Amino acid sequence: MKRLVKLLSPFTFLLLISACTTSLAPSYDKAIADGLVAASQQLMTHFAATSAGTAADSFAQRDATYSSIIGNLDALTLQAKSRPAPSSSVSDKVNEYLTRRGITTSDTGDVPSAVALEQISITLTKMRDVDKKQGVTAIEVAAFRGQVVIYLDQALTYENFLEREGN
Amino acid sequence: MGASIDVSSLTEQIKTAASDVAKRDIAVLKGFSDRQIKAIAQQAQLVATGIASGQITEETQEFFLESLKTMAQSFANTLQGLAKVTIEKIWNAVVGVVWGAIGTATGVALPVIA
Repeated sequence: MKRLVKLLSPFTFLLLISACTTSLAPSYDKAIADGLVAASQQLMTHFAATSAGTAADSFAQRDATYSSIIGNLDALTLQAKSRPAPSSSVSDKVNEYLTRRGITTSDTGDVPSAVALEQISITLTKMRDVDKKQGVTAIEVAAFRGQVVIYLDQALTYENFLEREGN
Repeated sequence: MGASIDVSSLTEQIKTAASDVAKRDIAVLKGFSDRQIKAIAQQAQLVATGIASGQITEETQEFFLESLKTMAQSFANTLQGLAKVTIEKIWNAVVGVVWGAIGTATGVALPVIA
C-alpha cells in the first residue's frame, strides 16, 4: 500500500483521503439549458430586426420585446443561481492545492453561467435605454450583439458542460 | 479473503481513467478559449472602429469600453468553472477505479459515497 501511495501524485492522494466522490460544480439542469437556447433565439431575432439601427420615435414597437427578453433572462439567472451549491470544503482543498503550487485562483463561488446571464441582461437593458432615448446606430446594434454572443457562449458552454455522467 | 492489489495494473487503470477525461475535456476547453479570445478581439476592434467613426455614440462609448473588461473577467471565470468540472470528473473517475480495486482485493463491496 505504501508503494501505491508513493506512486500517486499528492493531488490524487488528496482525493483518496477524502474517501468519496465529490461535486465541485452545480448539477446539470435541462430546463436551464433549454431556457438558454430559447433566450438566444429571442435575442438573435431581436438583433436581426434592429440590425439596420433604430429611431427613438419607433421605440414603442420594440418595448414589449425588450421587456419579454429581459424578463426571461432574469428568470433564467435566478434559476441558475438557485441550484444547491457544491461542497465548499472540497473546493477549498483544491484551491489550497493549486495555490501551494503557485496557481492563483480567484474563486468567487459565483456560477459562471449566472454571471454571464446577468451581463446579457445588463447589455440588453442598456440597449433598451439608449433605443428609447435616441435610437441605436447599426454599429451600436452590432456591438450589443457581439457582446451578447460572447456571454451566451460562456453561459451555454458552461451549462452544457455540467451534463456529466450520473446527472 | 480476496486477491492483493496489482500496483502496476492499478496505476495504469488510474492513468487511463484520468487521461480519458482530461483528453475529452481539454478539447472542449481549448475550443471555448479559442472562440472567446477571437470574439473578444473582434469586439474590441468593432468598438474602436465605431468610436473613431462616431457611430458608437457618447451614450454607449463608456459602456462598451467597460464591458470589454467585464467580458474578459467573465471569460476567465467561466474557464475556471469548466476546469473545476474537469477536476471533479477526474477525481470521481480515480476514486471509482481505486475503490473498485480495494473492493476486489478485500472482497468487500465498498460504497462510493457521493
